[in-house]
Amino acid sequence: MSAHLERLVGIALRDVLDPEIGRSVVDLGLIYAITAAPDGAVTITMTTTTRGCPLAGFLKEAVAMAAGAVEGVVAVTVTLTYEPAWEPTMIAAE
Amino acid sequence: MPMASLSRWTMSYFAAALAFLLAAEALAIAGIGYPAAGLAEPATLVLVHLVAIGWLSLAMAGALLQFVPVLVSRPLALPGLALPALFVLIAGLILLCAGFATLAGWIEAPLDLLPLGAGFLLAGFSLLGLMLVTTLLSARPITLFARFVLTGLACLAVTALSGATFTTLLSGRGGWLGTITLLPDGLPFHALLGLGGWLGLIAIGVSYRLFVMFMMAPEPPARRVRPVLLLASLGLALAFAGLAAPFAGIEPGAVWIAAALAVLILAGVFYGRDIHALYCTRRRKTLEINMLASIPAFVALGLGVALLPVAVLAHAGDGLIAALVFLIALGWLGGLTLAQLVKIVSFVTWLETYAPRLGRGPVPRVGDLVAMPRTGWWFLLYYGGIALAAAALAIETIDGFRATMALCLIGTAGLVAELIRIRRLSQIKAVDRPPAHERPRLLAARAEERRPVHVEAGSIAHPRA
Repeated sequence: MSAHLERLVGIALRDVLDPEIGRSVVDLGLIYAITAAPDGAVTITMTTTTRGCPLAGFLKEAVAMAAGAVEGVVAVTVTLTYEPAWEPTMIAAE
Repeated sequence: MPMASLSRWTMSYFAAALAFLLAAEALAIAGIGYPAAGLAEPATLVLVHLVAIGWLSLAMAGALLQFVPVLVSRPLALPGLALPALFVLIAGLILLCAGFATLAGWIEAPLDLLPLGAGFLLAGFSLLGLMLVTTLLSARPITLFARFVLTGLACLAVTALSGATFTTLLSGRGGWLGTITLLPDGLPFHALLGLGGWLGLIAIGVSYRLFVMFMMAPEPPARRVRPVLLLASLGLALAFAGLAAPFAGIEPGAVWIAAALAVLILAGVFYGRDIHALYCTRRRKTLEINMLASIPAFVALGLGVALLPVAVLAHAGDGLIAALVFLIALGWLGGLTLAQLVKIVSFVTWLETYAPRLGRGPVPRVGDLVAMPRTGWWFLLYYGGIALAAAALAIETIDGFRATMALCLIGTAGLVAELIRIRRLSQIKAVDRPPAHERPRLLAARAEERRPVHVEAGSIAHPRA
């Protein structure tokens, strides 16, 4: 159930697009981890392309919204981290 | 983790800067200043300071107010000083130019306008420096990027102080200097510190950070970037020493200028290598207009720094040296600034308008706000004008320079119109624009009104509640 929910959240996050490039936060490698508890509480660890990114707060909120809209999710915790720092090699090949 | 906010008055700085650029281009077309006048004549000084302070410094100040907080992840310190600093700088520049106009005999006024204007400029730059230095030092450790900006701000302080000293000499109140002769030998060092240190070095430092973001390129390792800062600092220290040399009874000559330039050029070579590497290793294959339009700026820089020391050492005529300085000031710094303004204005406008809607449905991309390919055509006119105007300066044809500056003016005016259209969301379908009262204001960002309800680390959002 948890793995299934994690997959569904991952799919939902593909709708959150970076406004600069138009690719999803998942494709850009900004989502480091998605963990779902059996009770439907989801924890997402993410980053931004640079520290202090003016979009950071908005992206976190957008990720929380998209994950929260998935059937079965009862709560979302989004954590921003810079360990490891994002680098361009994390972008998925087109 | 604190989130950097929008700088409320950056758009006002940009608007003032562009107005001064248009004014300078119009004066050049009208035949005011070099080559119609001598390099050190008051008419030329009006033009030079409109470009250096009015256009380049105000645009740099506006960009730094937006990006320093972002790049050090700290809020801008003393943000309430941003608007007063702008007003004081504009007043200072107008007074300084009025002083030069008096010197030229265009108007009847006391020459004390010159030191008065310089005093205003010192005050304005001090306010700006206070905001930026406090912000930079609030983040620890002090990063390489911060060191670029801090060194550039130190150069600004020396440039402004030396300029203020020159104005007291020109106004006839330089008796306190005794027999020390600062003019005209100090002028090249004053220009080197202003153009190379305050404007050039900070443009270099900022471009390292921003280009990585804009092109999604790997960040150059510090061991590659550090020599650029060290060499540039050495060259600027030589320029500072050249400025201070008369106090020690030394007369710095062309060799001293060439030595400072040579070290700065070496820094420029390393910088050019890194920028080339950023373009080559970028993950974002399609270049946006700001990065495309930066390429001619780097070509202008390459030509300028390669030929300027040769011209100085060979005692080339004023024409060739003026052409090369023109390429660096309006080709590199001016072109790079115009190119990045398109990006900064569109990004800030998007942030104000659409960032709060992210994740709540489709939103336009940042690039959708920019009219393409029309914006590219304006850049072509601008750079075409710069290339032809530099050639006209080199062969010292006054009418040719005036005619080619008209191309620059048309290109600049077109870009100004595009920037206004970006702020007005003109490229966005009416249905995707927010109601009129929520649209971006032309000159002031809605800095505090659009902050999102943050999902802070460790807190729990209940979007389905």
